[in-house]
Amino acid sequence: MKKLVLVGLVLLLYVSVVVPFTAYMQNKPFVEKLGYVPSAATLRTTSLDQQYLVSSTLIMKVLFYYGSLFEAQKNHIDIPPNYDGMVDVIETAVKLDPYNMDGYYFAQAILTWDNRRIERANALLEYGMKYRDWDFYLPFFAGFNAAYFLKDYPTAAKYYQRAADLTGYALFSKLAGRYMYEAGKTELAIVYLKTMLASTHDETIRQSFQLRLAALEETRRAEVARDLFIAEQGRHPKSLAELEQTGTLDFPLVDPYGGKFFLDETGQVRTTSKFSFAGAKKSRQ
Amino acid sequence: MNVIEIENLSKTFRGKRRALVQALQSMSLTIDQGETFGFLGPNGAGKSTTIKIIMGLIRPTTGIARLMGMDASHSAARAKVGFLPENPAFYDFLTAEEYLRFVARIFGLSGKALNQQLERVLSLLDLQEARRRPIRGYSKGMVQRLGLAQALIHDPEVLILDEPMSGLDPVGRALVKQVLLELRSQGKTIFFSTHITSDVEVICDRVGVIVKGKMQAIERVEDVLLRQTSGYDIHVCHPRTGLHKTVFSEAKTLPEIIVSSRDEGFEVIKLEPRRQNLESFFLDIVKSNHE
Amino acid sequence: MWQVFRANLKGIFRDRVFLGILVAATIFPLIPSVSSLSMRQVTELSITLSFSLLTFILLLLAIFLGGTSLWKDIERRYTFSIAGLPLTRGQYLLGKFAAIAVFLLLVSLVLGLLLLMTVYVTSILHPPIRPVVWGNLVLAVLFHCLKYILLVSFTFLFSTVSTSFFLPIFGTIAVFFVGTASQQVFDFLQSPSGQKLPVLLQQIATGLYYIVPNFTAFDLNVNAIYALDVPLNGIGLTLLYFIVYLVIILSCASFLFARRELN
Repeated sequence: MKKLVLVGLVLLLYVSVVVPFTAYMQNKPFVEKLGYVPSAATLRTTSLDQQYLVSSTLIMKVLFYYGSLFEAQKNHIDIPPNYDGMVDVIETAVKLDPYNMDGYYFAQAILTWDNRRIERANALLEYGMKYRDWDFYLPFFAGFNAAYFLKDYPTAAKYYQRAADLTGYALFSKLAGRYMYEAGKTELAIVYLKTMLASTHDETIRQSFQLRLAALEETRRAEVARDLFIAEQGRHPKSLAELEQTGTLDFPLVDPYGGKFFLDETGQVRTTSKFSFAGAKKSRQ
Repeated sequence: MNVIEIENLSKTFRGKRRALVQALQSMSLTIDQGETFGFLGPNGAGKSTTIKIIMGLIRPTTGIARLMGMDASHSAARAKVGFLPENPAFYDFLTAEEYLRFVARIFGLSGKALNQQLERVLSLLDLQEARRRPIRGYSKGMVQRLGLAQALIHDPEVLILDEPMSGLDPVGRALVKQVLLELRSQGKTIFFSTHITSDVEVICDRVGVIVKGKMQAIERVEDVLLRQTSGYDIHVCHPRTGLHKTVFSEAKTLPEIIVSSRDEGFEVIKLEPRRQNLESFFLDIVKSNHE
Repeated sequence: MWQVFRANLKGIFRDRVFLGILVAATIFPLIPSVSSLSMRQVTELSITLSFSLLTFILLLLAIFLGGTSLWKDIERRYTFSIAGLPLTRGQYLLGKFAAIAVFLLLVSLVLGLLLLMTVYVTSILHPPIRPVVWGNLVLAVLFHCLKYILLVSFTFLFSTVSTSFFLPIFGTIAVFFVGTASQQVFDFLQSPSGQKLPVLLQQIATGLYYIVPNFTAFDLNVNAIYALDVPLNGIGLTLLYFIVYLVIILSCASFLFARRELN
C-alpha cells in the first residue's frame, strides 16, 4: 500500500512538471541560430569518416535557419539575415563534400537577389565545377549571374556554352545572345527561376522562388504593356496608372511582396518592395 | 620418461608499489609416468604459480620447466595432458556438451570417437541432465565437474589438476575421489594441488609440501604414514558394570596391556592404530617454517 | 584455430549483438523520408545517411567487440581453461580475431542489403540526375568493412599488452582519428605551406604517415554517393595494403601475446 502511494506520488510529480515543461518548449520562440561552426579542416579531422554526413547536416542547419527567417519575413518580423554566416557555413560544407549540390544550389539562391554577392557566388560555383564536372546547373547559374547581375556578357556566354556542351541543349547557347539583347533581363530571370523551381522540391526554397517569379512575371507584364503603349502612342507613358486607364494593362499590377509598382525616371518598371517583404514594409513607413 | 620435470625454478613478480615478490624459490621436482602426486601447501604458497608455469601460462624467472619432455611453453607438450585450472571458468554462453565438443575437437577427436568420449565423461561426472543447458546457469560444483570432464575428454595420459575438490559438495567430492582412484588404477599420471591432507592420503603415491615458495619435503605417502604410527588405542568394556574406557599403548607393550585388561575383567571391543596422519606431518612442516 | 573461431562467433551471436544491430538497423526505413529534406540531391543524401548509419554501427562493433574480446577472456579467466589445450597463443588470438572479422563481414552483408534497399526506394521516389551505380555502393560497403576489420586488429594489438579495456578502446579510437587524418596531414606537408615547416617536423610527420594506418583510402563514399568512377588500380592497391598491414599488426599482436604473462 505504502509503495503504491509512493509510486503514485512520483507519477503525479512527473505529470505536474512535464505538462508545463512541454508547453514552455512549444511556445519557445523558434529561431534557428547558426551558432559557431569550426573550420573545415577541424571538422574533417573530427568527423572521422562521417564528413559527408557533417556536410549535409551543415547545409540542413543553414536551410532551417533560412526557413525560420523566411517565416518571420512573411509575418512581417524584420530580422536581418546573417548572409555571411550562412555562406561561411555553406563554404565549410562544400569543403567537406565538394560534390554537395545542395550547397551550391542554396548559395546561389541566397547570394544573388537577397545579398548581391555575385563574385562570391561565382567563385563558389567555379569551385564546384571542378568537382561536379558533369553538372550543367553550375555553369548555368554562373552564366546567369554574370549576365543578369554583372552584365559581363562574354563571361556569361562562356558559362552558357559550357552548360550547352554538358547537356547538348541549344537553349543555353542561345540564352546569352537572344534573351539578353532581344528580351532583356526580366525574361532571362524568368527562365532562370523556372529552371531553379523545376529542380527542387524543398518547400521554403520553392515558396521564395515562386514569390520572386510572380513578381518578375508582373514586372514583365508591365514591361510588355509599356512597350505596347510606346508602339501605339509614340511616346513614353507618364505612369503605370496611365497604362491601366488606356486599357493597355488589362488588370492592376500586384506585387506579391506587398509593394507598389512604378515607373522610374528612365522608364524602367520598378516596385517599392525591391522584391522583399522588408522593402515593402520600409516603403510603407 | 619423466612427465614433469622442474629444475631450479624461481619466479619473482612485481607486486604492489613495484616491490618484488618471490613466489617460487629454486624449486626442483620430477614426476614419473604412472605416478600420483599430491602437491600440498597452504594458500599462497606457490602451488598455482608452479602449475601455471608447467602449463605455459607464465614463464619462470630462472630455471626450466618441462612437460612430456618438451619445454612447457610448447603447445604440443599439452597434447596428451588434461588440465583443470583452479576455480575454472568456461565459455559460459556454450552448453556443457558444446564446450566438451569444442575441447575434444582441439585435441583432434572427431566423429564416433568424439561422441563416445563425450558420453563417457558426461556420465562419469554426472552431467547428463545438464548437458544442453548453458554453462552460465551452472552451480559452482557443476562447473568444477565440467572442468574435470573437459580434462578427461581426450583420455589423456597425464592429468594436472589445480584444487580439483574445491567448490564440490560431499557427494561431488566422493565422486571425484572415486574418479581419481579409478584413473590411478588405470596407470595415469596425476599431479594435483590441494590443501586438504586427507585427499592426498587416500589418493596419492607421493606428496610434496610447498611453503612460502619453497619445496619443503617430497615423500612417499606410505612412508610418512608408517613413520608416524605411534601406538594403539584399546577400547575396553566391563560386562557387569558397563564401564567403558580407552587405554593407549605403544606397539611394544600391546600384548601385555591386553592381557592385563582381561585379568581385570574387561573385554576388548576395539583396537585402533593411532596414526599421526598426514595432517600432522604437514602442520609440523608449516609450523617449523613460521618459527 | 578453427574451433576457437567457431566458439567465439557463437558467443557473439549468443550475446545478442546481432539482435542489437537489427534494432539499430530499424533506422534505415526512416532514411528516405529524412532524405527528402534535401533540395537537390535526395538520393545522394539517402546514400550519405545510409553509409553514416552503416559505418557508425561498424565502428561501434569494431571498437567494443574488438576491445573487450581478449580482455573479457582474461578477466573471466577463460584463458586458464584454454591454456590446457594444445593451442599456441597465436592460434587462439587469430581464432578470436577471425570470429570478429567474420561477424563484421556478416553484419556488413546484412546492413549492406538494407542500404541497397533504402537507396533503391529513394531513387524510385526521387530519381537522381545521375543514376545510382550499384556496384560502387557494394564496393564502398566492402571497403568500409575492411577498414573496420583493420581497426579490430588494433584493438587486439592493444589488448595483448593491456590489463584493462581502457587502452584497447581509447587507444583504438585514437588510432582511428590519426588514421583518418594521416592522409590530410601528408597532403598538407606536400603543399607549399607545409614545406615551410621545420625540416625535422616534416620528417617526423612523414615517418609517422608510413607507420600509422591510412583509413582514407578505404573511403569510397564519394564514389558511391555521386556515382564517380572507382579507380580499379587504386582499389587493388588498397586491398593489397589492407592485407599487408593486417598481417603486420596481427603478427605483432601474436608476438606480444605469446610473451604475455597470464596471471
